[in-house]
Amino acid sequence: MYKFLKTAGIVAVSVLMVTSCSGPGEVHEYAVNDLEFSLEGPLFAGPNGAQTEISIDLADVLGEAFEEGMRISDARLKTATVFPHDSLGFSQINAFVVAFASDNEDVSMQEAAVKNPLEEGAAEAVLDVAPEAELGEIMEDGKVYVVLDADLAEDYWDGNRDFKLNFTLELTIK
Amino acid sequence: MLRKLTFLAVSAVIAFGTLSFDLQKEKENPGDRLVGIWEPSNGRSRIKVDRIGNKYYGRVVWLIEPNDAEGKPRTDINNPNPDLRNLPLRGFRMCKDFVYQGDDTWSEGTLYDPNNGSTYSGTIKMRDDNTLDMRGYIGVEAIGRTDVWKRLKMPSKKKK
Repeated sequence: MYKFLKTAGIVAVSVLMVTSCSGPGEVHEYAVNDLEFSLEGPLFAGPNGAQTEISIDLADVLGEAFEEGMRISDARLKTATVFPHDSLGFSQINAFVVAFASDNEDVSMQEAAVKNPLEEGAAEAVLDVAPEAELGEIMEDGKVYVVLDADLAEDYWDGNRDFKLNFTLELTIK
Repeated sequence: MLRKLTFLAVSAVIAFGTLSFDLQKEKENPGDRLVGIWEPSNGRSRIKVDRIGNKYYGRVVWLIEPNDAEGKPRTDINNPNPDLRNLPLRGFRMCKDFVYQGDDTWSEGTLYDPNNGSTYSGTIKMRDDNTLDMRGYIGVEAIGRTDVWKRLKMPSKKKK
């Protein structure tokens, strides 16, 4: 009986320690606006991608609350909206996909938002985000590649197509 | 005569400059030889490989059957994440996160099969500039399947 209680006690203390060490952390909203993407022509009917690099600096995100050793433990995309950034608007665009990637060899690229099909005549494209897409490991190193894919209905040989992206992330910081 | 010589000299300088630039680029990113459009052996799709950061990704740019039975563009209906089943299949990145290891080999990546929503570990070996051995496996590389992909040339003329 004593042995059982002792074992149970050790297990209980261990669970308590794990729980306190793996606390949820603080949640912060992080917004990125007017991120520019240029699909470089000539463009062919079908998917065409553009990428932009961003840096997430926790000292900037947290301000005075930042302490050395803090890191992003979880990140989720909350909103993503694409805007046209040239005179062609969304002409001949069927769909958009937003994905995130990092240089970390152990972390895979993750698609996080999609709009398919795009509504005709829309002035902006509010993408459907995938809340289950876990972006924490991608954000962890600070340097993140944001990838915008646009599906074109027809070839476009006369230059580039330009867009802007606004998005918000929910960062959990420990 | 002088004009001809000047023209030849300028052409040679431009050609040399372009060559040096290409060589320099290849020296900086030797893995970029993988960049381009490739066709798997079944000929049912074409995959465009690009570099993002220091990793290589391949997305579907052409499908022999782009539409479903209802005539709508096919989407990734088998994606394990239900929120992403609306991703267009044309454009889907089915090869992800390949890192150039030297010796004509890219590894550490994954291959996705949209027919069943499964993801496999992958290794790419370039036999020659126009031929790839694309190996997908689960767990142990020795137990897997290799497909041969051929490089396609990019269209270079404007269509009328």
